[in-house]
Amino acid sequence: MTQTHDKTVESRPTVSLDMRRMILTNGVPILFLVLSITMALVAGLNITFLLNEVVTRLGRNSLLVLSLLIPVTAGMGLNFSIVIGAMAGQAAAIAVTYWRITGVQGFLLACLLSTPIAAIAGWLAGNVLNRAKGREMITSMILGFFANGIYQLIFLFLVGPIIPLKDPAMLLPQGIGVRNTVDLINISQALDKIWRPVIGGVRIPVVTLLVSAGMCVLIGFLLKTKIGQNLRAVGQDMHIAEVMGIKVDKTRIIAMILSTVIAGWGQLIFLQNIGTLNTYNSHEQVGMFSIAALLVGGASTRRATIWHAIAGVILFHTLFVVSPLAGQRLFGVPQIGEYFRVFVAYGIIAVALALHAWQGRQVRRQEIKEAMLTE
Amino acid sequence: MKRVVVCLLVLTFLCGVVGVVGTAAPAYKIGLVTGTVSQGEDEYRAAEKMKGKYGDMIKHVTYPDNFMQEQETTIAQITGLAADKDVKAIVVNQAVPGTVAAIRQVRDIRPDIIFLLGVPHEDPPLVAVTADLAFETDQEARGVTIVNLAKELGAKKFLHYSFPRHMSMDLLAKRRDIMKAECDKIGLEFVFVTAPDPMGESGIPGAQQFILEDVPRQVDKHGKDIALFSTNCGMQEPLIISALDTGAIFPEQCCPSPTHGYPAALGLEITEELKGNIPGILKAINTAIVEKGGAGRFATWPIPTNYLLVEACVEIARDTIEGKMSLDDMDAVNARLEAAAGVSMGIRKLEGHEEDNFYLITSASVIFGKDEF
Repeated sequence: MTQTHDKTVESRPTVSLDMRRMILTNGVPILFLVLSITMALVAGLNITFLLNEVVTRLGRNSLLVLSLLIPVTAGMGLNFSIVIGAMAGQAAAIAVTYWRITGVQGFLLACLLSTPIAAIAGWLAGNVLNRAKGREMITSMILGFFANGIYQLIFLFLVGPIIPLKDPAMLLPQGIGVRNTVDLINISQALDKIWRPVIGGVRIPVVTLLVSAGMCVLIGFLLKTKIGQNLRAVGQDMHIAEVMGIKVDKTRIIAMILSTVIAGWGQLIFLQNIGTLNTYNSHEQVGMFSIAALLVGGASTRRATIWHAIAGVILFHTLFVVSPLAGQRLFGVPQIGEYFRVFVAYGIIAVALALHAWQGRQVRRQEIKEAMLTE
Repeated sequence: MKRVVVCLLVLTFLCGVVGVVGTAAPAYKIGLVTGTVSQGEDEYRAAEKMKGKYGDMIKHVTYPDNFMQEQETTIAQITGLAADKDVKAIVVNQAVPGTVAAIRQVRDIRPDIIFLLGVPHEDPPLVAVTADLAFETDQEARGVTIVNLAKELGAKKFLHYSFPRHMSMDLLAKRRDIMKAECDKIGLEFVFVTAPDPMGESGIPGAQQFILEDVPRQVDKHGKDIALFSTNCGMQEPLIISALDTGAIFPEQCCPSPTHGYPAALGLEITEELKGNIPGILKAINTAIVEKGGAGRFATWPIPTNYLLVEACVEIARDTIEGKMSLDDMDAVNARLEAAAGVSMGIRKLEGHEEDNFYLITSASVIFGKDEF
C-alpha cells in the first residue's frame, strides 16, 4: 500500500505538492471565501453597502480577535475568557459616561481605567488556568460564565447602595442597579469620527483601523522579544521550557493578562462604534464571535497569526452580512434567510473545526511522505 | 404611410408599457423588521399580511433569533434596508437591542427615513428621543389591571416569575413594584420567584423546565388560589400548562395576546381556517379551557399586541409619508391603532417625554369560560 502511495507522489512535480499543501493548510479560509463570494452574488447586494459594513466591522472587531493571539502562542488554546476583559471595558465605559467625560479624552480615560481591572482579572484567570493545564479552553469558557455572574451582581445589586452612582438616567427606578441600556453618547464614535474620509462611497474609520494596525505591529514586536520567545517555548512544550529555566506559570499568567487587557480595549472600540451599551449582554457576544472569526481566518488552537485574525474578521463578517439576504433571495421567504444564515454561519464553524483536524492529519501524512521521498 | 402608422403604434405601445410599469411600482417602500416565527409568530404573520396587502412596497427582513448575542446582525439588517434609496420608513417590531444603534447609524447617512418601533427592548427614555414613534404596552397601567383581574378571577396570592436581566429593564422593574404595591392595597400576597434566564447557559428549555417543576411546588405551598405571571415569552406555555394541571389562575401573559402561549399549551391545531382568524382562535381557546376545567380562571387581551402593532405602524408610516397625518397627533395615531385592532384602545404618552412620540397602549381583557365568544 505504502509503495503505491510513494509512486503516486514521486510522479508529481514539487510545485503541485506545494500547491496541495497550501490548499490543505488554508482549506477553511478558501471555503469561506468561495461561500462569501457566491452568496454576495446571490444576494445581489449593493457593493458600497457591503464594503461599508465590512470596513466598519473590521475596525470594530479586529482588536478583540487580536486579543486571542497571545494565549494561542503560549499553548493555552482559544481564550474564551476574553469576555472578562470585555466586562472590564464596559465597567470603564459606564464610569466615564457617569462622569460625563466626552470625546477622545473620555475614550482614552476608559481605556486607562479598564487596564488595571482587566489586568487583575487576567491575573486571576491565569492562576486558575495554571491549575487546569490541558483543559484551558473549557475552563476559560466556564470562567467567563462565572465572571458574568459577578458582573451582574455588581451592576444589578451593588451599584447604588454600595458603589456611589447617583445619576437617575443611568439607574433603575428603584435606585439600585444600572439600566439595561446605557447611552454612550459621550464616547460614541469618538475614535471613528476623528478622521473618516469617504472613498468611493465607503466611509473609512482611519484612526480605528490605525489603532488595530498598531496593535498588530505591537503584538508582532512583542513576540520577537524575550517574553515572546518564552511564550513560544511554553506553547511548544511546557516541560522543555521548564527545563530551559523559563518560569512556565508566570509566562502563562503574562499571556492571560495581556490578552484580557487587549480584549478590554477591543470592547471599548466595539462600544464606541455601536454607541450604546447593552449593560448585561454586550460582552456575551464577544468570546464566541471573536473565536469563530479567528478560526475562519485559518487559525487553529495551536497556531494563530495576525493575518489569520485579519482575514478571519473580513471573511466571517462578510458571510454574516450577505448570508441572510442570500437566503431570502434564494427561498423568497424572509425568515428562511435568517435560518439559512444561522445554518451556514454556525455550520461552517463546525466544518472549520472538523477541517482543522482533518488538515492536521493530511499535513502530517504529507510530511511523512516527503520524508520518505528524500530518504 | 404604413411605416408611420406602425411606428406610431409601437410608440403608443411603449408609452403604455412604461406608463403601466410606472404606476405599478410604488413611489416609496417601507422596510419591515420582525422576528421569525420561532421568536414570536404574531409579528411575522402580521408582516406577511402587510406584504400581501401592499406587495413590493413592503421590504420584510427578520432579526436573528439569538438577538441578544447578535446585535451586529440586527444593525446590519436595518442599515441594509436603509441602503435602498426608495425606503422612506422602517418599522421594527419587536425593537430588540441594537435598534437604537442602527437608527443612529442610518441617521448619519439617511436622515429622511422615519422609524416606527413596536415593543422596544431598550431603555424607554433613550428610545423616545431616538425613534420617530414607538409603541409599548402600558406596563405601569398593566401593573394595576393584571393584579385586579387576578383578584376578580379569585386569586388570594400573586406569583411573579422573573430574573435579573428582565428586572434591569426599566418598565418591567417599575411594573413589578406597582404590582407589589397594588397587591398590598387590595389585600393579595405578592410572591416573587427568580427563574433561570432563558438567555443564560441553560437556554429556553432550562427555563421552561423550571416553570413546569416549580409551579406545582408553589401551588402546594400557597394553595390553588394563586395567580401566575411571568415576564418572559418562553415561559407562558409551561405556565398555562401547569396552571391548568394544578388549578391555579392565569390572568394575562407578558405580551397579552390570544395567540401567545395558549394555542401551544392547549395543543390547538391552527388550521388554514384559523390562521390569522383571531375571533376563531379565541373561540377555540375558550372551548379547550372550559373542557379542561379552567373556566373563569384564564384571561387575555382580545387582540395580539405585536400583530396589531405591525399593522398599525405600517398604516401610520404610509399615511405619514403621504402627508395625511403627523406622528405627533395622538388622536390620528389612536384612530389607526383602533382601526387595526377593531376594539377601543387606551393610549397615553410616556411620562416625562410628552414632546416625543413614545405611546403606551392598553386594551380590556376577555375571561375564558365567562365572556361570550
